[in-house]
Amino acid sequence: MLKLDDVRVSLAGHTVLRGVTFELPQGKTAVLVGRNGSGKTTTLRAIMGLVPLTGGSMSLGGTDLLAAADHQRAALGIGYAPEDRRMIPAFSVEENLLLPAVALNLSKEVKGERLSAVYDLMPELADLRKRPGGSLSGGQGKMVALARALVVATKAILLDEPFQGLAPALALNYARTLAKVRDARGDLALLITESSPQLLAGVADRALKIERGEVSETTLAALGH
Amino acid sequence: MDFLLPMLVDGLAASALIFFIAVGLTLVFSVLRVLNVAHGSFYAVGAYVAVTIGGVVMSAGAPQWLSFPILFLSAALTAALLGPVIERTFIRFTYGKPEAVQILVTFALFLIFEDLQKLVFGVQAYYQDAAVNVLGISDIGGIIYLNYQLLLIALAAAVVVALRVMLHHTRLGKMIVAVVADPEVSATLGIDTRRVYMAAFTIGVFLAALGGALASPNSGVAPGLGAEAIVLGFAVAAIGGLGQIEGAALAAVIVGIARVLAIYYVPQLEPVAPYLVMLAVLLVRPYGLFGAATQRKI
Repeated sequence: MLKLDDVRVSLAGHTVLRGVTFELPQGKTAVLVGRNGSGKTTTLRAIMGLVPLTGGSMSLGGTDLLAAADHQRAALGIGYAPEDRRMIPAFSVEENLLLPAVALNLSKEVKGERLSAVYDLMPELADLRKRPGGSLSGGQGKMVALARALVVATKAILLDEPFQGLAPALALNYARTLAKVRDARGDLALLITESSPQLLAGVADRALKIERGEVSETTLAALGH
Repeated sequence: MDFLLPMLVDGLAASALIFFIAVGLTLVFSVLRVLNVAHGSFYAVGAYVAVTIGGVVMSAGAPQWLSFPILFLSAALTAALLGPVIERTFIRFTYGKPEAVQILVTFALFLIFEDLQKLVFGVQAYYQDAAVNVLGISDIGGIIYLNYQLLLIALAAAVVVALRVMLHHTRLGKMIVAVVADPEVSATLGIDTRRVYMAAFTIGVFLAALGGALASPNSGVAPGLGAEAIVLGFAVAAIGGLGQIEGAALAAVIVGIARVLAIYYVPQLEPVAPYLVMLAVLLVRPYGLFGAATQRKI
């Protein structure tokens, strides 16, 4: 469903992605593993339209992604949680969660449905709903970023280094939530970047290894876990 | 002490007009991150458009009260015609560029507007004071005020409230706040940042043009209006902290009152009063009254 074919990206004169090719079907979860600087984040940013491609093509459910401007990718159903969370500090948690619904001009019913679906999956967020987005701890922020991506997503979710900087207990908690999301949302393709994929062993169906901007198929077992 | 009330009213009325310039400048800066030198031109164009339309309609024998909605209509017309076009043709090319480039481009735009005004309207002054006359005068404590001046104060206060409500309770406002905080994440959440930039710029043009239109019945229109407006607007925006709407409001009040105080006590200092205030504030708070070095807010 999410399909990248020979995607090439250069940033400031350096080739970052040199022909990234993979396919991720609906309902499947892939973890994109690689060292810092291998092109994990750039792959996700390219899918979101935040960096220009120098070559290749991308599609989602048969729709050409390159024909859609950056802001239209959310409307196509891709939810994205960047590594550094990036909440709007002036908004409350709930306003942050509803921001994409407001931007996409969703009807009141759909807004309500998506919000309650998110609170069902992550009940701890319901207690935080009135808190300012700027006051969240790292672990809370990661959860809210995942929830915000879920509000957008109807086809795919991209999570950039979700465990980065989380204390072990919080990382475990996040992994459990992710497993719940996986069970509840069989309609979504999940693409998760991670430098240490142990925590995703129970969630991921596939492992993709990215090295110097090139992706190859591997297994979690082959990665030593 | 007999001076206190008249001084306050005069000061606040002056503040109201300054506020309209500074608030648009500060809004555009906080959303687009562009210091727009041409902002004063929109003030001047708003004034010229108001005087021109007002002149035509009044001389056609229209009722006097009509001069009042014409001021708003002129500002809306100026914003609708100039806002999107100027943003698309000039301003957008300066996004993310060094300040020097932004200032060169917008200063060039300012000079173009100055000459265009002389080309279209000539160098003579225009007056159209029907709006002041129709509102009449009030007698407060034995001193006569133009009701129009009192109305300006109320309108400025209304704009502060309207902007607050717009930013926090409307779809566009929420998108503006999000783009100010993080344009990139906003785009990934479905916000068309290009349209938000255009809308915010157009609102800025509207506020400047409204300031010019509202100033015209009392002070007329003549060449040089734009330059005067932008210099004062910058001073007030800097005092308030660039990007701060409430800051601009408070700074406008301080500058307006400082000017009037100067007129009452040291008339020679009147032209420099706003800049003395700016100097004093920036010495103590380099980022302005409401500004912060790292955090920005709208």
